[in-house]
Amino acid sequence: MTALDRIAHAGRWRRLPLAEKALLALGLLALALILPPWPGAVLVLAAAALAALAGARVPPGAWLGAFAAPAAFIATGALALVVTWGEDGLALVAEPLVAVRPALRALAATAALLLLALTTPAPVLVKALRLPPELADLALALYRFLFGLLDTLRAMQAAQQARLGGAGSIRSAGLLAAALLPRALERARRLEIGLAARLHTGTLDTLAAEPAPSPRRLAAIAILLAAVAGGAAWLQ
Amino acid sequence: MAAVILEARGLAYAYPGGVAALSGLDLAVKRGQRLAILGPTGAGKTTLLLHLNGTLKPSAGSVLLDGDACAYSRSAVRAWRRRVGLVLQEPDDQLFAATVFEDVSFGPLNLGLAPAEARARVERTLADLHIAALAERPPHLLSFGQKKRVALAGAVAMEPDVLLLDEPTAGLDHHGARHLLAVLDRLAAAGTTLVFTTHDVDLAYGWADEVALFDGGRVGSQGKPETVLADARSLARAHLRMPLVLALGLAARAAGVLGADDSLPHSHDDALALFERGVSKLNRVV
Ligand SMILES: Nc1ncnc2c1ncn2[C@@H]1O[C@H](COP(=O)(O)OP(=O)(O)OP(=O)(O)O)[C@@H](O)[C@H]1O
Ligand SMILES: [Mg+2]
Repeated sequence: MTALDRIAHAGRWRRLPLAEKALLALGLLALALILPPWPGAVLVLAAAALAALAGARVPPGAWLGAFAAPAAFIATGALALVVTWGEDGLALVAEPLVAVRPALRALAATAALLLLALTTPAPVLVKALRLPPELADLALALYRFLFGLLDTLRAMQAAQQARLGGAGSIRSAGLLAAALLPRALERARRLEIGLAARLHTGTLDTLAAEPAPSPRRLAAIAILLAAVAGGAAWLQ
Repeated sequence: MAAVILEARGLAYAYPGGVAALSGLDLAVKRGQRLAILGPTGAGKTTLLLHLNGTLKPSAGSVLLDGDACAYSRSAVRAWRRRVGLVLQEPDDQLFAATVFEDVSFGPLNLGLAPAEARARVERTLADLHIAALAERPPHLLSFGQKKRVALAGAVAMEPDVLLLDEPTAGLDHHGARHLLAVLDRLAAAGTTLVFTTHDVDLAYGWADEVALFDGGRVGSQGKPETVLADARSLARAHLRMPLVLALGLAARAAGVLGADDSLPHSHDDALALFERGVSKLNRVV
C-alpha cells in the first residue's frame, strides 16, 4: 500500500482528472473481460503496461514489483489447471489452453486496475467513491492512521534491532505488536487534538485541486480503446 | 499599552492516573507579545498549551480570553479556537490530507470561508511560508522540517489572534529554525500574539519579548528575558543553564566592559562585538 501510493503521488498523471484515468483503466478492464483472450487480453495487457510505463512514467521496476504478486498468484492457479497427475506422473492436460485463456484475461484485468492504482492516490479514489461523508472520513482517517502505524512500526523495529533484539523471532514480533497498539492509539488521540484545534467538526472537508477533464484527452483515450478492440478483431 | 489578551488563573490539572501536571499556575500573555515558556521535560508545558486552547479543562482555576473565562460548551470552545490556534510539536499529529494544499485548506473551510476565499488564503499562506512548491505533495512523504512548516501553515491560514506553538524549533537544523523564526517574526509584526514552549534558553533569550519559567507545576517567574534568565537559582530549579550570550553580557558588566546602563547583548553578533571590545580593552591595558 505504501509503495503503490508513493508511486501514484510521484507519477506524472497524479494531477490528471480522475475521470480520465478511470475511463482509461475501466475501459481497458471492460475490454479484457469482453474480448477473446487471444489476442484481446494480450493487447489490453500491452496497452495497460504501455500507458503506465510510457504514459504515466511509472518506473519499470515499480510496475513489475506491483504486478508480480497478483501475476504469480494467477500463474500458480493456471499451472494447477494445466498439469495433471496421471498414471505416468505429471502430465499436461489435453486442452492446456482452457486454463491459459482465463489466466490471460486475469492478467490483463490486473494490469488495467493497476494502471488506476499506480496513478491515483488512495484518498482521491476514496473521495471519488461518493461514500457518505462519515464513511469517507473514516476511510481517510484509517488511511492516515495506517501510514502512522507503518511509520511507528518501522521506527520501533529499527529501535529493537539497534538494541540487538532478536529481530524476526516470534517473541520480538510479539513484543513489537504489543507495544504498537497503545502507541497507535496515543497517536490517534493526538491527531484528534490537532484536528480539533483546526475546528474539526466531524467531516474532513478539504479543497481538492483537481482540474476538469479535457475533451482532447478523453478523445485520445476513446481512440486508444477503440484501437485495442479493433486490433484484436483484426488479428483474429 | 500592552493589554493582556490571554490569561491563566490558578490552573490545576492532573492526568487520569494521578500525575499532577499543573498546580496553581498563573500566566498572563500580553497582546502582540512573543512569550516563551521554558521548563524541563515533563514540566507541563504541553499540558499548559492544551489548556490555553481549550482542549483540556482544568480541575481548578480558569483560562480567560480578553477577560472572559472559557465556558467549555461546544460552541464556546469553537469560538475560542477561532481566535487561539495551536501547532503541535509533532507535525504528524496534525497532517492528514492527501496533499499539502488540501491539508492547509482544512482550517479555513472549517472557519466557514467560501471555497474561493479559502483557496486564496491557502495560496497566500503557502507563499508566505515559502512552501508553495510543496502544494501538491503528500504531507506524509515530506521531510520533518517541511512537515513542520506545513503544520504551521495549517494554523496560520486560520489567521488566529493568538498562536500557540509547542516546541516550534525542536528537531530543526539551524537554517530551518531561522526560517521558521522569520515566518513567526512576520506574524508578530502583523499583530499575532505568539506563545511558544521550548527547551532552548538561547532562543528564548534572543527572540522572545517575555519568558515564563516553569517551577513545580506553576510559573515560577515571568518577565523580561534578561531578568528571568539571569536568576541562576530559578534556572537551576528548571534544569536550565543561563544563555551564553546573557552570561557573557553579565560578565562584561561585572568586569566594567559594559556600563550598568548599557543594554545587554541579545544576539550572537552583539556578544561577539562585546567580546572584541573586551579584548581590545585588555590589549590597551597590557
Ligand atoms: N496523556 C497523558 N497521560 C498521562 N500523563 C501525561 C499525559 N501527558 C503528559 N502526562 C504527564 O504530565 C506531565 C506534564 O507533561 P507535559 O507533556 O505537559 O510536559 P512538557 O513540559 O510538555 O514536557 P516535554 O518538554 O517533554 O514536552 C508529565 O509528568 C507527563 O508524564
Ligand atoms: Mg511537551
